[in-house]
Amino acid sequence: MEPSSILLLTMALPFAAFLLCLLTPNRDNLRDGGTFIIALLLLVAVVNVLFDFNSGTSIEYEAIVFQKGLSIAFSVEPLGMVFALVASSLWIATHVYGIGYMRGNKEKKHARFFACFAFAIFATMGIAFSANLLTLFLFYELLTISTYPLVAHKENDDAKKGARTYLGILMGTSIVFLLTAVVWSYAIAGTLDFKQGGIFDPTLSPVFMAVLLALFAFGIGKAALMPFHRWLPAAMVAPTPVSALLHAVAVVKAGVFSMLKVGVYVFGIDNLSSTGASEWLMWLAAFSILAASIIAMAQDNLKRRLAYSTISQLSYITLGVALATSMGVIGGGLHIVTHAFGKITLFMCAGAIYVATHKTNISEMRGLGRTMPFTFIAFGIGSLSIIGLPPFAGSWSKWMLLVASADTGQVIMIGVLMVSSMLNVAYLIPIFARGFFSPATGTGSQAVNAVVPWREKLAEAPLLVVVPPCLTAIGCIVLFFYADNIVDFLSPIATVPSVETTNG
Amino acid sequence: MFEWLHPALVYLVGALLLPLVPNGKARAFLILLVPIVGVIPLLTMPFGEFFQLNLFGETLTTFRLDKLSFVFSLIFSLAALLSLIYAWHVRDTMQQVAALAYAGSAIGAALAGDLITLFVWWEGTAIASVFLIWARRTEGSYHTGMRYLIIQIASGVVLLAGAAIHYRETGSLAFEAFSLDGVGAWFILLSFGIKCAFPLLHNWLQDSYPAATVTGTVILSAFTTKLAVYALARGFAGTDFLIPIGATMTLFPIFFAVIENDLRRVLTYSLNNQLGFMVVGIGVGSELAINGTAAHAFSHILYKALLFMSVGAVLHRTGTAKGSELGGLYKTMPWTMVFCVIGAASISAFPLFSGFISKSMILSAAAKDGHYITWLILLFASAGVFHHSGIKIPYFAFFAHDSGKRPAEAPWNMLLAMGLTAFLCIAIGVWPNALYSILPYDVKYNPYTSTHVITQFQLLFFSAIAFGTLMRTGIYPPELKSINLDTDWTYRKIIPAVIKFVVMFVSAVWSELVRGAANSVSAIQNTLASFYGPEGRVARVQPTGYMVLWLAILLGAALLVNLVELP
Amino acid sequence: MADHKNSKRGHVDSFIVRSLLWVDDRSKVDKFFWGIVVVGVLLTLLDLFYKKKTYFSTEAFFGFYSFYGFIMCAALVVAARALRVVLMRSEDYYAPTDVESEDHPEFDLNRKEADV
Repeated sequence: MEPSSILLLTMALPFAAFLLCLLTPNRDNLRDGGTFIIALLLLVAVVNVLFDFNSGTSIEYEAIVFQKGLSIAFSVEPLGMVFALVASSLWIATHVYGIGYMRGNKEKKHARFFACFAFAIFATMGIAFSANLLTLFLFYELLTISTYPLVAHKENDDAKKGARTYLGILMGTSIVFLLTAVVWSYAIAGTLDFKQGGIFDPTLSPVFMAVLLALFAFGIGKAALMPFHRWLPAAMVAPTPVSALLHAVAVVKAGVFSMLKVGVYVFGIDNLSSTGASEWLMWLAAFSILAASIIAMAQDNLKRRLAYSTISQLSYITLGVALATSMGVIGGGLHIVTHAFGKITLFMCAGAIYVATHKTNISEMRGLGRTMPFTFIAFGIGSLSIIGLPPFAGSWSKWMLLVASADTGQVIMIGVLMVSSMLNVAYLIPIFARGFFSPATGTGSQAVNAVVPWREKLAEAPLLVVVPPCLTAIGCIVLFFYADNIVDFLSPIATVPSVETTNG
Repeated sequence: MFEWLHPALVYLVGALLLPLVPNGKARAFLILLVPIVGVIPLLTMPFGEFFQLNLFGETLTTFRLDKLSFVFSLIFSLAALLSLIYAWHVRDTMQQVAALAYAGSAIGAALAGDLITLFVWWEGTAIASVFLIWARRTEGSYHTGMRYLIIQIASGVVLLAGAAIHYRETGSLAFEAFSLDGVGAWFILLSFGIKCAFPLLHNWLQDSYPAATVTGTVILSAFTTKLAVYALARGFAGTDFLIPIGATMTLFPIFFAVIENDLRRVLTYSLNNQLGFMVVGIGVGSELAINGTAAHAFSHILYKALLFMSVGAVLHRTGTAKGSELGGLYKTMPWTMVFCVIGAASISAFPLFSGFISKSMILSAAAKDGHYITWLILLFASAGVFHHSGIKIPYFAFFAHDSGKRPAEAPWNMLLAMGLTAFLCIAIGVWPNALYSILPYDVKYNPYTSTHVITQFQLLFFSAIAFGTLMRTGIYPPELKSINLDTDWTYRKIIPAVIKFVVMFVSAVWSELVRGAANSVSAIQNTLASFYGPEGRVARVQPTGYMVLWLAILLGAALLVNLVELP
Repeated sequence: MADHKNSKRGHVDSFIVRSLLWVDDRSKVDKFFWGIVVVGVLLTLLDLFYKKKTYFSTEAFFGFYSFYGFIMCAALVVAARALRVVLMRSEDYYAPTDVESEDHPEFDLNRKEADV
């Protein structure tokens, strides 16, 4: 097949899954099985695109041309390729998990749920392969709209309220700021195409650059930069598979992915660094990193804590852009991958705990690890990866961001990353440690007997819910050893290094 | 022949395979096999750099065997074997896995040739070791473990940050001697200092080790801090200001050790004090001093493990390690007592015991370079060590007043481990040349000169006489059920109290503000209501009006944006 | 000490223990202590009979190590005792976040009475 047809296929496949789900509202097994096969096919298609891309073929497709520089078009570049790979591979895990969760938890309206899910993946693929800002914007909005029913899925007052906040902030910021920024960019540059090194004249005034960057940064509400972060905890009313894929991977990653795209292909990192336009963003990202972590510490609801942790982690990526160095954006790109695997593991574990015990508060989860060891070990691995400890993937993205901070001489940013790691330990590890080493909630303070074989009292969630987080946890370990390949793959996006490396 | 065998990986593979083997004798044998297999590549490989891999365009060396790393990885392997024999009876899978992963990480770190590899294993020791504390499975050990973990991970994060800065300053990731001209090296030094329990950074040690399980404490005592000593010796040998730091480390813990009740905590204070000797040796930095540091680390790991083993055996049999609860145990645990005394004699540096032949090197090196005050402090600390570790530990556990406890002798595996360790302590003391021959530099040092032996005996005997005199006059502080404040007081009491106060203050102010705002809002509402009336037309029209207004503003803005021509 | 001073049993019959039973006898402990003092004094007198190899002049003083060891240890204990006034707290000071106020968990122990 033509490379460009395969590219289109990556969008057509999830769209087909969407149609399939709509057409089979009552035939659960057909729908879920069919979608599973499509998800597998999608991964195959994306990997095919990767092979074509690696062989040096330039893969492009222009769907509609409105006028010069204004079109709906798709193309493949390393960042989008990585994002598409992450989203499509994790879709498989989440789909399996979603089936187990929805059935195990006796949720209603499966067809609508999986249809919206598939549509969200369709939108995500569109975002990943968008060739210009307009396409990106359109699919960005489609993603918001398609996930709204998912957030409101439970249809109770809480869910509706959360979904309203979700839609309000995401739509509001994207229309007020992002659309303005897109229109403005077109007015100035005469094009919206993503271009290596940016589309703006480097001699533009730094103040203007900073203002435009602000419109983008706040307009991309999905990146959950403070103060436009409230939608993320609000969306935690959704069923956990939604939180897992969408709020750990697709939606939030679409946000930071857009941020990276804008930083690399609209502004250009050397423009950003030479004008200093992104310096304020760096400070705001640093603030977000720390503030969200501190708020996370105070949350007793597990999913809310994870949501605030996500806000903090997303700002790592924003920080990577704002540092405006090659290491920074590559580190940010890598962090999209590592955080995706870590956070989806955590969310799926949270869901597994909910399915098995109907507990949502951390204070009720003491001692649970002894009856749910697989879930809690996976949770521990995810936590360590998020903190950035070896041998888990998260350590490399933290390392690259540290080096990027060292490149720009930002010792304070190094301090921020260090403190953030400590805060992560303080709010993630207790869940794991208390799960194994504390007496179960409500049983007094007797010490736990260590030598009772755990097999006798295993009470895990259904297999379909437990296996996916275990697989993604293994993914966190595997990625530790293959991070080098991802970095190699991503390095072309920063072919115009802004700071000369001293040794090369 | 064994080029494909990386010692640290042997441990990790062992740790991974463990859970698959039935939990019994078979698994216990497998565990013991790990350190034996793990030492093979150390003994058979020539010095050099192996297992290199590429990461982000840099070459990493995960197996650098030279004289310094050989001594440390060898003693780590030995310590792993001995403490695993001691832990033969443990059937807790988690502790078994953690012990192997921890020992493996320490060996991996000692063999690391670059900062990235070092970081990986450095954090590995932190993560693996905390499970030995949590394994106690009580509320207290959970909290202690969290405190320990945060501080240990902080050390690793500081190391990573230091590595990043150093990398950008020098373009090199090699783990070699650092110059303190750059910021990065200071971060790295701080990281090492945390793990080495520098003064004011030390308290995680005393806080956490006594909170581990019986066997966990023995395993913990060997690795983390000596890894830091190794790292300092490699990176910062000859850094002058390490001398006063080390001297302070030898000094202040002995005061705490005298009044501490928990004997395992007494041992952590004396552990801290012994680290001080090594840090002084690193600071002096001469060949003799570095040799002394390496030799002292070697013998220290053994006798400290032996002391922890014997106190652990007492705890294992009686349920307590507190001086106030113990006494008179020599009657029923005679062998444990004998091994404890051998450990005590070694740490006190009695001639013919291991401490003597290593500590005297450091003292001589300090004296040779003319560090008079430091030398006096070290001498004082040596006497003090005898006082609190050499006499206090065996005395309060096995003699003193009879507690009435009649515990059985320690289990055979513990006796075996203690016996082997005790043998090594004596063997090193009697035949120091075997240890001297593997030290980083050629040794031209004879510890058994008449001056050394006689002066050391004078020092020790008069320390003992001081102890006896003070006991007989009742001046010696009795063992009391109590704890002592240390620097952990700041982060366990003061900082939480401050945070609590700030939170209370802020929330009080906040609620006042909110109430005030609510009052004024309702006041405004009332005013408006009185103007427009409850069902006023204006109120109903307003939303639409606002919407139109906003739309107009938005459109205007869009228009403006399109028209703006920028320079 | 008083409870067991006269009981013949209460210990394992081992040569180590038999050779140490004197520690429960106050007068024998006294003799032991004075024995140590005598040895210490003799060791100090040895200073007169050999050439000390020294790095510092202080070292060369007669009996320096003896006096230094005794005085510094006495000072150490007195100072530590004084520290207690400031630093000592009850065992449950940090409870429940501390192990000092807890019993060691039984699963980690193997309590056994000696066969006496």
